[in-house]
Amino acid sequence: MTPTVSELLLGNFIALMDPPPPEAMGDFMAGKVAVTGMIAMLAAQEAERGAEARLWENNAIRDLLRQGGAEIPADAAVDKDFAICGLDRVNATLRRALIALHTEAEDKGDRTLDHAILRFYVKSADMRRLDMPPMPGN
Amino acid sequence: MSLQDQLEAYLTRTGGKPAKVHDLFRIPGGASRETYRFDLEDDGGKRGMILRRDPVGSLIDTDRRVEFLAFRSFFGRGLPVPEALALEGEGAELERPFFIMGRIDGGKAQSPFTLPPYGEHAATIGEQFFSHLGQIAAADPATLPISEAAPSPSLDACWKKELDYWEGVVDEDEEHPQMIVRAAIRRLRRNPPPPAQKLSVVHGDYRTGNFMHDGHGKIIALLDWEMAHIGDPLEDLGWAIEPLWCYKETDRVSGMVTREKAIQLWEAASGLHVDPAAFAWWELFASVKGAAIWISSAKEYRAGGMKDPVLGLSGWFTARRQDEILANVLAKLEGLA
Repeated sequence: MTPTVSELLLGNFIALMDPPPPEAMGDFMAGKVAVTGMIAMLAAQEAERGAEARLWENNAIRDLLRQGGAEIPADAAVDKDFAICGLDRVNATLRRALIALHTEAEDKGDRTLDHAILRFYVKSADMRRLDMPPMPGN
Repeated sequence: MSLQDQLEAYLTRTGGKPAKVHDLFRIPGGASRETYRFDLEDDGGKRGMILRRDPVGSLIDTDRRVEFLAFRSFFGRGLPVPEALALEGEGAELERPFFIMGRIDGGKAQSPFTLPPYGEHAATIGEQFFSHLGQIAAADPATLPISEAAPSPSLDACWKKELDYWEGVVDEDEEHPQMIVRAAIRRLRRNPPPPAQKLSVVHGDYRTGNFMHDGHGKIIALLDWEMAHIGDPLEDLGWAIEPLWCYKETDRVSGMVTREKAIQLWEAASGLHVDPAAFAWWELFASVKGAAIWISSAKEYRAGGMKDPVLGLSGWFTARRQDEILANVLAKLEGLA
């Protein structure tokens, strides 16, 4: 998924590095600082759980490909690089294969496989979820 | 030359008399354009103004003339819409295209990520919010200024025009394979909705965060018309009740009223009917459109040198939240949730 945590944290630095023009002080700058704070808070969650979510997702996609009789791409057969960016590279290959398999299942009317993939989507989105605490309302 | 100097030069030239700009500040929100507030002094009087200038990079690519004419379409017609005053497609003294409109003071816009967003005024604001949207849907776009710039699709082509556009955005901007969004797009194409009941002006981004209220239960300004177009009126209703805009609320759409009440208010104000099958299509479409916007903002964040944290947050956190919503809707439509 893009952008990556390292890009976001670098972006936070870049966003605050340059002094803003006079007209961008006040509410706009306060809002910008608040958003960089939110990013830092969520980045901590991604650092904590991001690798686990990707490892789970990559293995789950391989299982679905096997279930659907599809070939697992050779360069995505196993995870060797456990950095988030390494897991993401394999994940991109696996996701492309899954999209093709899901399309084929829909075209064939294979509801068992279609539903298995839909259930996987729910679990995958939940595994990658980032929890932002609600801000106080008015 | 500072932005203030540029703005004064423009206003002096076009007004034919010396103009002075006071209290020029950029304000948050309206992420597709840079938005500034300022006071214009001429002839001894002061008037509150808003400047909307095209950015170098943006959350979404939109037509500023359509936005300008959308404001003009509803100003003075019983809806709280600011007056659009001047449009400069070539940028003139400000170097980038912009438009200027009158400012409505005394209100605030609420973030969709606050809880509860409207407190004790939720129901009152909800009544106005969905009734105003119904009034927009009821208007005949052919009689309004927006028809000068926005194309009118045929009734049976509204859905395809929008889906083609937003799928095109995903195709162009996707940087990581979007398995959930792709599944939703395929489903939308396999199950098209019936033709629109009528053509309406579609605000395009009618939601929590894009209107101001006075803190006492009154909506005083409907803003951010940058995605306005002509299409199926159900499109706006689907977007307005998209779960993304009611963070952690499960029983009130947009943090205001129940889903049933929202539809009832909209039907009463528009004189139109919400067909459940057609609306289910537009609700799923709303989530796809949202996903396309967040995919696009992720790409723009990188392309712009990662300087705008709003683009970064949208392309990351909001994209994840949208995936979660989409996955659950797809499962529910198959009876799996």
